[in-house]
Amino acid sequence: MIHLHVEGEAVNSKLRIHETIKCDVLIIGCGGAGLRCAVEIFEKMPGTRVIAVTKVPHPQKSHTSTAQGGLAAVDPDDPVDSPAYHMFDTWKGSDCMADQNIVKKIVESAWTQVIWLENHGMHFSRDEAGNLSKRTFGGHTLNFGQSSAFRAVFEADRTGKGIVDTLWGEALKGGISFINQSIATELLFEGKRCVGAVIFREKYGDFVKVLARATVLATGGSGQMFRVTTNCRQNTADGLALALRAGLPIMDPEAVQFHPTGIVGPGILASETLRSVGGILRNRDLEPFMERYAPRMKELAPRDLVARAIEKEIREGRGVLNPDHNVEHVWIDLRHLPDYVHDVQIPEVTGFFRRFVNIDPRKELCPVRPSNHYHMGGIPTNEFGEVQRGAKETVPGLIAVGECAAASFHGFNRLGTNSLLELITMGKIAGERIIEYLSQDPDTLPEVSPERTFSLFARFMDEKGEENTGRLRQEMQAVMTEKAGVFRTEHGLSDAVDSLRELYERAGHTSLSSKSLRMNQELVQRWEFDNLLAISMACALAALNRRESRGAHFREDFPERNDEFNHHTLVYMSEFGKVDFGKRPVDMSIYAAGGENYEKFGLIERKY
Amino acid sequence: MRSRYSITLRIKRYDPDRKRSWSQDYKLEAGRILRFTDLFRKINNELDPTLAWNSSCEHAQCGTCAVKVNGKPLLACELLVENAVAFFGTTLFRVEPITIAPVVRDLIVDLEKAYERIEKIKPYVIDPVENPHPGNAYQVSPRDLEHYVEATRCINCFCCATACISSHRGFMGPNAVLASVVRIMDPRESAKAERLDMLYSDQGIYRCHTSMACSFVCPKEIDVAHFIALAKAGRFGAKGRK
Repeated sequence: MIHLHVEGEAVNSKLRIHETIKCDVLIIGCGGAGLRCAVEIFEKMPGTRVIAVTKVPHPQKSHTSTAQGGLAAVDPDDPVDSPAYHMFDTWKGSDCMADQNIVKKIVESAWTQVIWLENHGMHFSRDEAGNLSKRTFGGHTLNFGQSSAFRAVFEADRTGKGIVDTLWGEALKGGISFINQSIATELLFEGKRCVGAVIFREKYGDFVKVLARATVLATGGSGQMFRVTTNCRQNTADGLALALRAGLPIMDPEAVQFHPTGIVGPGILASETLRSVGGILRNRDLEPFMERYAPRMKELAPRDLVARAIEKEIREGRGVLNPDHNVEHVWIDLRHLPDYVHDVQIPEVTGFFRRFVNIDPRKELCPVRPSNHYHMGGIPTNEFGEVQRGAKETVPGLIAVGECAAASFHGFNRLGTNSLLELITMGKIAGERIIEYLSQDPDTLPEVSPERTFSLFARFMDEKGEENTGRLRQEMQAVMTEKAGVFRTEHGLSDAVDSLRELYERAGHTSLSSKSLRMNQELVQRWEFDNLLAISMACALAALNRRESRGAHFREDFPERNDEFNHHTLVYMSEFGKVDFGKRPVDMSIYAAGGENYEKFGLIERKY
Repeated sequence: MRSRYSITLRIKRYDPDRKRSWSQDYKLEAGRILRFTDLFRKINNELDPTLAWNSSCEHAQCGTCAVKVNGKPLLACELLVENAVAFFGTTLFRVEPITIAPVVRDLIVDLEKAYERIEKIKPYVIDPVENPHPGNAYQVSPRDLEHYVEATRCINCFCCATACISSHRGFMGPNAVLASVVRIMDPRESAKAERLDMLYSDQGIYRCHTSMACSFVCPKEIDVAHFIALAKAGRFGAKGRK
């Protein structure tokens, strides 16, 4: 053990509110959704006092920045595409679990949102005429599945970065106040109304109370539950845990998407393109194994099928162990592809292999494995982003948008390019709702005190033992990947639940090496671990409860979809591992309206 | 090809509580394709949980993990052990925080301070030109975009500003120049005069000594010096880009 800092003064005396700040709107999380919400408020109601908190050192470092592909939106001037097709693709992709009122709302306003971004300076890629370029993307079709749709607008391979840069600039212009490198440790309530949050500022090592007339959760994903993930280091399900601790439910935590081909090590996506241009998946014996799983489609089979095939090869001992990252994988073989393909069609991805694993895909096999990618589940909201306490009742003053929320636009499986669309659209819609709310709500803020933060942090400070949070987190990630990942069974999930309980116990025997509050990453990691454990538990229990396969949720023991389960899962967790389930019906208003093509929006099969 | 390396990271540490800095050696057995961010995590999990370091995406797309290794500013998430050994010709690596803002703890600097330079140049469209087709996208020729699209790839990792021989003496820094040039060359921005004022101010481009260190160290391989050279050559003047 190196350098043990023992502070002279009693640590717990530092656990107090250092300062109280009042504002109109508190936004927790500064990725695409949070910032879009802020900017909408500034445009419609200049001078609103907005405080935005980000866990990363600066909003530009948010995870939205890493989104590559594009943003789906139907151009009204497109002679062949139609919003109805986009709605159908989203509904079908979701395996009948997206809410149709949300799907309609988001799809119909998509193009307006794209134009808004462009008009505010986003550097979209252009066609020869100077208009926005469009490209195809998996699952996006014309005529209800007939052919691929050119529906994704993009900024080269950095669409997410373009969105964050644009929104961050506009938020600055609007006069936003950022609190960087800080976490929200508790939501504050007056009765049932949310009135702000307690914020721990890592840089100063102090807690501030932010009282707000409206609070927005935009904390992003939960990818760190798993071993290999495309998600950034900060995506630790913080917002979901915050909601659970406040007695609120989370919805569909079992709906987790895995991308079939993450690059071993950093987890970066090796895009689907690799397979569509002719890349071949091979196991340890170099056998092109997809022939056994999908004799006709082979490598071009849908994402979830390919992910399961790879996972199965690994589980049956035909994977390859990468000694450096201690992760098993299969190979994707790109050696036979002509130079033209390498140079023109897949330069970014081959660049990733060069940069992050030192491999030349022209000459060597490339290591890939299924990688956690996206959490469809989240904090349940209505079509305005208002957080729900149950199937209908909302929480006044509390909004959730982006990946941490579930309205739900994606149901049980998200289509590529639909997440960026959701961020900016729901961000804007939530902003509009907040403006309405602010104009009705009297400008008074109650004095409330935190109830949980200090006992929680005192507990972290006082814990004693030999355990190390980082290593426990790795154990948890291994459990979730093996037992609650691509393949799930009754037996495996029960094991996972037991392991999570044990890990929770052991987490109580970690001992902080330094008791300083200032930029103490071990302390923050301890807090994150509590969040990850809670959401992993909710995920495992909900997966156990859902005895069917649907979208990204695959139960080996119940491989078919069962329409008895055609409802969202609501999970409440009063204490760790003790859950209550609720149900929320899936909105099928497009089907119910009985308009043109309504039958496409019934309980259709998800077959490609 | 070797599969493992015995390496030493000599990390510059700083404890804000005691206002004390020191350097500390961590000896590691490391696989050839582990990245420096993986090594930092390994140190936290196996040797010393107190070492503080920053990262976010770890995909070389956010710039949060910028540090100096043997003097060179770079992104720790894309520096592989075997590449580091080959590039620097040693297994001893001095790891220090980037020198562009005050250190908060160990390898973490106060990026908020660093970003003040970027905020100052107004990283947004100050005043949009009138849109000839309201409700539609502006038309931007791909040929025009080509002239400045490289500059839009900047992720503000501040590697260039760290390497720049002038950025510690009042120069706004290479990445702030890039952010400014993007909107000068963007046909949708009308506030060119205000931007040029900033660019030619006493914190502007004439502080640059053309060492071209910015282009040399840029992890995104942007030719930063090229854009500064355009400004110095008066290419953004009354005649514009044409």
